[in-house]
Amino acid sequence: MAEGRAAWLLRPEGLVDYDVANEAMHDLARRRLADEIPDAVIVLQHPPVFTAGRRATADELLWDEVTVAARGGAVRRIDRGGSFTFHGPGQLVAYPIVGLGSRPDAAAHLRRLEEVAIRTCADVGVAADRRADVQTGVWVGDDKICAIGVRLLRTRVTLHGMALNCDTDLAWFDGIVACGLPDRGVTSLARVLGRDVPVAEVAPTAVGHIADVFGLTFIDPPDDVVRPFVAAAVA
Amino acid sequence: MTSIQMPQLGETIVEGTILKWLKNEGDEVKADEPLFEISTDKVDTEVPSPVAGTVTKLLVAEGTTVPVGTAVMEIDDGSGASGNGSSAPEPAAAVPAAETPAAAPAQPPAMGASAAPPSPAPQVQPSGQPAPAPSVTMPDRGPRSNILSPIVRKLAHDRGIDLTTIAGTGEGGRITKADVLAATAAPAASSGTVTPLPSAGPAAAAVMVAPPSMPAGQGEDAQPMSHVRKAIAGHMLASAQQTARAWTMVEVNVDRLVRLRAEIKEKFQANFGVKLTYLPMVTRATIDALQQFPLVNSRLDGENIVTPRFVNMGIAVSYDAGLIVPVVKGADGMNTVGIARAIADLAARARSHQLQPDEVQGATFTITNPGPYGSLVSVPIINQPNAGILSLDAIQKRPVVVEDDAIAVRSMVYISMSWDHRLIDGELATRFLARVKHNLETWDFAEDLGL
Repeated sequence: MAEGRAAWLLRPEGLVDYDVANEAMHDLARRRLADEIPDAVIVLQHPPVFTAGRRATADELLWDEVTVAARGGAVRRIDRGGSFTFHGPGQLVAYPIVGLGSRPDAAAHLRRLEEVAIRTCADVGVAADRRADVQTGVWVGDDKICAIGVRLLRTRVTLHGMALNCDTDLAWFDGIVACGLPDRGVTSLARVLGRDVPVAEVAPTAVGHIADVFGLTFIDPPDDVVRPFVAAAVA
Repeated sequence: MTSIQMPQLGETIVEGTILKWLKNEGDEVKADEPLFEISTDKVDTEVPSPVAGTVTKLLVAEGTTVPVGTAVMEIDDGSGASGNGSSAPEPAAAVPAAETPAAAPAQPPAMGASAAPPSPAPQVQPSGQPAPAPSVTMPDRGPRSNILSPIVRKLAHDRGIDLTTIAGTGEGGRITKADVLAATAAPAASSGTVTPLPSAGPAAAAVMVAPPSMPAGQGEDAQPMSHVRKAIAGHMLASAQQTARAWTMVEVNVDRLVRLRAEIKEKFQANFGVKLTYLPMVTRATIDALQQFPLVNSRLDGENIVTPRFVNMGIAVSYDAGLIVPVVKGADGMNTVGIARAIADLAARARSHQLQPDEVQGATFTITNPGPYGSLVSVPIINQPNAGILSLDAIQKRPVVVEDDAIAVRSMVYISMSWDHRLIDGELATRFLARVKHNLETWDFAEDLGL
């Protein structure tokens, strides 16, 4: 693979508060749109949070907010495409903030996110794939293992991204109709393989696949870019 | 006058919903200023104006879904031209002036001509410049097999539901989580919830139908059979008596596999912590053949032929107490690396007597692997209630006739199957083995091995 274009890689440790990460991501995307900064990829984990995309309907949240809060979670309505999903410990989240060029092909961006997930699953011995009957996402059989949702700024710069269940506590998904598909299940690498698969095991290869599939060469970002994520990390 | 269309965001995205107008009729807009928000299946975006001017008309209501290319807004940009000046706001917005308008009428919104907005002096790779397209091929991994999801299997297992008794309501007749839950809630609705595996009971009795006793005499030792030995004896005898066993063999050229393994075995072990043997590759190739010919993956239940849509692969493992067949559950959801790890784990725990009872039950097909001990051809007994058992014997360099009638040295192996003629006929057995052979001789395992 030839050298890709330079991109910042942010890998804050611990669980990063969703609101802080979301705001920092939008800030990076606005600067990317203004061509002030190169592409950037954020790879992190969040504390438990349900996020509702623009297509989510209220009845797809099956727990009331009191129940969610009692379990230590939160609910956020956000600006990406798609329906409800869950983020939480044990889930590898990647947010590529990349310029799509003068002829933006958002579908190709979705396919690249899927490809990263498929290759990452294959590395640990899980045969995951796209499905012919559902437009987006990566599946093991009938169960979704990687959720995908994206927003674009002025059709040119990407936000949000993919969430791959490594050893996520899947009980959280009982709280929503994931991705608006009531008869589909969710799964994780740990469930498929019957062993612990911590995010730390998967993240290095996932980062490598992001670089390959998106054609990026990662460089360290300046400290001031990293700082908000570090400050937002809870133990 | 410029007409703004629902933009094309990729060939597979064919329509979009206007979520919100960010500009109303009469508003002034600058070039590249967001005009409206749209939503597609998984992508939302704001759509910027390709021109500076005044919004004269909103053509559809918020919440309306329209096909890509549909005019949704008109902007008076002072050009005076009407109709023909139609423009997709984006991607045209950032197309360099030198770009020519797309000639292909099939994709009107792909590239309309427009005044390029002034862009700030780029300090880095501009978001609007063509990104170097990653030269990454994304292989078509083919249609998904009609498999059951692990969650459905687990749920059914936890609740003691026999999936073969449930009618699937999912797409293509698949059994969904809801089907299992419904069957749990109303067990009477299903025709029977648990089908116990045939036990060694009746067969064990058959062992007792023995020739007249011949106790140990001088120079002979006598020892009671272990429980494991008795169980194996009962199982084998029952199979020999109850199946209509036939046998078919193919010869497979594994030259490529031998070379691949020699090349990558050290890296594989370093990466994945298990030795790379041929068994996982043969298992993967066999699973594909089982999916092509599901009857080979089936079993007889009375006068019903039960065909699982998943593959639980039994792997015969010899250990100090005898022979045991641990089962790689959901093997059809694993790639070769996953299979290699699962086999290594099960075999190690079998040999240290740490298998759980459910780990030796539920095989839908079985592979035995006497090759390492030097066997060239084996005729195994079928592991009931499976329809067949595949034998992987020793790989050997042999002189073979190759193209142009030349004789060459190639790594070859005999792969054979004992099969139950009650379920399978010779044509199917042979086509199945031919598929296994084809897979092993043509597949590129390097990708599947993650190296």
